[in-house]
Amino acid sequence: MSHEYVPEIATDRDGNEHEVQGWQDDFYGGKLGFWLFMLTEVMMFGGMFLSLAYYNTLHPHDFLEASASLNRWLGGTNTVILLVSALTMGLGLLRMRTGDVKGAKLMIWATILLALIFLGIKAVEWNAEYHHGIFLMHDQMLPESSMAFGKKLFFGMYFTMTGLHGFHIMIGIGLMLWLIKRINSEKVTQDHHILYWNIALYWDIVHLIWVFVFPYFYMIGAGDVVAGGGHHGH
Amino acid sequence: MSKTYFDETHCAFGHPKSTFMQWMLTIDHKRIGLMYAAVMFTFFFVAVATAFVMRLELLAPGQQFIDGDTFNQAFTLHGVIMIFLFIIPGIPAIFGNIVMPIMIGAKDVSFPRLNWFTFWLYIVGALVALSSLVSFNDVDGEMIFNFADTGWTFYAPYSLNTGTNVITTLVAAFILGMASILTGLNFLVTIHRLRAPGMGFFKMPLFVWGIYATGWIQLLATPVVGITLVLAILEKQFGIGIFDPAKGGDPVLFQHLFWIYSHPAVYLMILPAFGIMSEIIPVFSRKEIFGYRTIALSSASIAGIGYLVWGHHLFTSGMADIAKTVFSFLTFFVAIPTGIKFYDWVATMYQGKIVLSTPMIWALGTIITFAIGGLTGITITMVGLDIHLQDTYYSVAHFHYAILGGVVFLMFAGMHYWFPLITGKMYNEKKAKIAFYMNFVGINLLWFPMFIAGYLGMPRRYFDYLPEFEIYHQISFAGAVVMVSGLVYMFWVLFQGWRNGEPSGTNPWNATTLEWHLPSSPPPLENHSKVPYVDFEPYKYENGEPVVKFDYETMKRID
Amino acid sequence: MDIKTINYEEEKKVYYKVLIGLLILTTITFIQPHIYTANTFASQMFIAVIKAWLILMYYMHLKGEKLIGAMVIFALFLVSFFFIIIIGIDVPNFQFGDESYIMSAPHTTK
Repeated sequence: MSHEYVPEIATDRDGNEHEVQGWQDDFYGGKLGFWLFMLTEVMMFGGMFLSLAYYNTLHPHDFLEASASLNRWLGGTNTVILLVSALTMGLGLLRMRTGDVKGAKLMIWATILLALIFLGIKAVEWNAEYHHGIFLMHDQMLPESSMAFGKKLFFGMYFTMTGLHGFHIMIGIGLMLWLIKRINSEKVTQDHHILYWNIALYWDIVHLIWVFVFPYFYMIGAGDVVAGGGHHGH
Repeated sequence: MSKTYFDETHCAFGHPKSTFMQWMLTIDHKRIGLMYAAVMFTFFFVAVATAFVMRLELLAPGQQFIDGDTFNQAFTLHGVIMIFLFIIPGIPAIFGNIVMPIMIGAKDVSFPRLNWFTFWLYIVGALVALSSLVSFNDVDGEMIFNFADTGWTFYAPYSLNTGTNVITTLVAAFILGMASILTGLNFLVTIHRLRAPGMGFFKMPLFVWGIYATGWIQLLATPVVGITLVLAILEKQFGIGIFDPAKGGDPVLFQHLFWIYSHPAVYLMILPAFGIMSEIIPVFSRKEIFGYRTIALSSASIAGIGYLVWGHHLFTSGMADIAKTVFSFLTFFVAIPTGIKFYDWVATMYQGKIVLSTPMIWALGTIITFAIGGLTGITITMVGLDIHLQDTYYSVAHFHYAILGGVVFLMFAGMHYWFPLITGKMYNEKKAKIAFYMNFVGINLLWFPMFIAGYLGMPRRYFDYLPEFEIYHQISFAGAVVMVSGLVYMFWVLFQGWRNGEPSGTNPWNATTLEWHLPSSPPPLENHSKVPYVDFEPYKYENGEPVVKFDYETMKRID
Repeated sequence: MDIKTINYEEEKKVYYKVLIGLLILTTITFIQPHIYTANTFASQMFIAVIKAWLILMYYMHLKGEKLIGAMVIFALFLVSFFFIIIIGIDVPNFQFGDESYIMSAPHTTK
């Protein structure tokens, strides 16, 4: 498919020519559109953080205890993994913009690998929580259990938010695989890389969400406020 | 005869030969707008029929022919269809698509293939909503009518506990919300990127300002209800706890999250409608609009302030008293920019040469009905009054005057105004005016008594009532009959106009904005022959005549 | 937008500098509960905001983007407003706490 789009020229009454911006070949428009889409993600996760803060305000002590019971080291490892993956994604885009297609693809594969490791660690965490009786519709999270409301709500939002975040990571992996396909068929090139740009932005926002999810769930209970103090890793 | 957008089209992929596939795959904003109109008006009439069934049931106290549970499903169905399938896509999906790009001198929207995808996403949402009407009995596979009975507001905890098809409806609403977001996104980028050279923001027609402000609401408010619906689904299906009091969940949180979207949603409905009013008034007063800049900025203010007032839906929910005070205070502010618009429209008409064509009488009628709707809204902004009037017919009459008498009436005004642009024909003026009067009399007969009934204590969403309220329901029913007749007649007149009407020419109203400066009527596929250079304001009239004139082949000014 | 003239070495340096910054901030995240115990929640959120700012400005190239930057600020302002009203004003003044089931013992300890 050749993008041989030639922009129209409009002439004003003094004879000056002005190039008309068409909908085709509009890099800035593509960037603007994707940023607007990401603002919707901000509003969605903002709504979830709002719900979390709502119950945190009603049950501050239970939230701290529940937070302390999460495995900070696994969570922290995932933080570093996602951080590095943001770097690899950015470096890949940079290579594509300088024409290094092979290097770009290598970076995308590296990002995918890191994303998969992230998901793997998440699965390990959820599995551990399950075996402690904490999982949706299971044992401690049923209405009849004696676990305090604050903790039930903490874990309800924990599974919801880490679950939806993980879902967005899976979508990201899918997008990256598709990107590699488009690069291979030369639809994405050094001169036409808006898709790559936007997928990199998408990956950055997935990382950004984790930047707030991690401390709110894993770190708030890390202080000495918790009775008995210290870490109860699983 | 030159080709119009009905003769040729661009497709999302492939080059189909059949007319049917060309419509299925078209990325042309004008065809997409028409398809939205066809589907949306079909749903509109289903919802009107549902309302009529309710009016029939409510004609007398006691059960007439449907029981209480079915009645609950009826008002839920009426609300879900009207809100999610009709009024929220509403004017943007139809006129935003068809007219806005032409008004800014563009050939299409910024993302035409996304526009095509968005239309079909809307259809998927509609199909999922349809599927939520029925369930299949576990025992013998029999099909039963199992539509949600929660009201379109889906309040927890009832929505969590009811056995009706809530989850499917929530999924449908989520998909429809995505379509709304993508439409808003598309329009925002279009307005930023594709305005003709020379057309700064303050040279855009006011309808485009309306669509722009609406786009910001579609984009930022809808995701909040999106996540609320997802959380409600997760609550009902996986018991995450946040809305379920049995696990410490607070139903007031659901109300907060729900109304953070649903209040801005009403501004999403009215802002494009106000844009249509701002287009019609100058044309039929033969005069420049008064206060262009203030009307433009008031659209932006309404969108902005509208985000801050949702709590006035929670005055009786158990929200903290101080929060109620804050919300009441903020809500009074949002009325001010609307008031400014009304004053500007009246000032435009002052000393103008008023032409009472059908679009104008719809606009003038709306000034009356929306004023009633808006002002009664102010009365219930006062917390003390709202404690008494919340969940009575007073609120219902308020929002029907505002939505039906504001948004829908202006949508009809726009239909009559842009009818010649879209179809190339003209409808029968006399019959169209009769249809207006039927609708105008109908809406007032139907809804005005309800203010009184509500004030006297008639609760909403009740299928039975005390005998003292019967007279109001009887008058309302008469109004419903007149209104439904008026609606059917109006559509018939327009349909006949399309089939047998006289050719209208490219500028039958002698208006100034760019959609009336096309080389053919209906428009060609890519709109203007050439993109014009815009160095003029949108509503320039002198002695009742447009100032700016174009050669339609070169789009150069010849005035 | 002319992005053909890019300085590969310059931009790569920026990416790595931001990476180091983010790693340092992550380390501080883990040390903070031990060295500054006054308000863990506020400290953690503060560190997160700095991280977010670095990511937005440099990884997401928001630095220098006036229009998009203004749009991001608007969206963030809206979310902040929701927090200020609901978390700042409504929930702390929950006036039915004594009679409310969701705040009743033994389901809630404080």
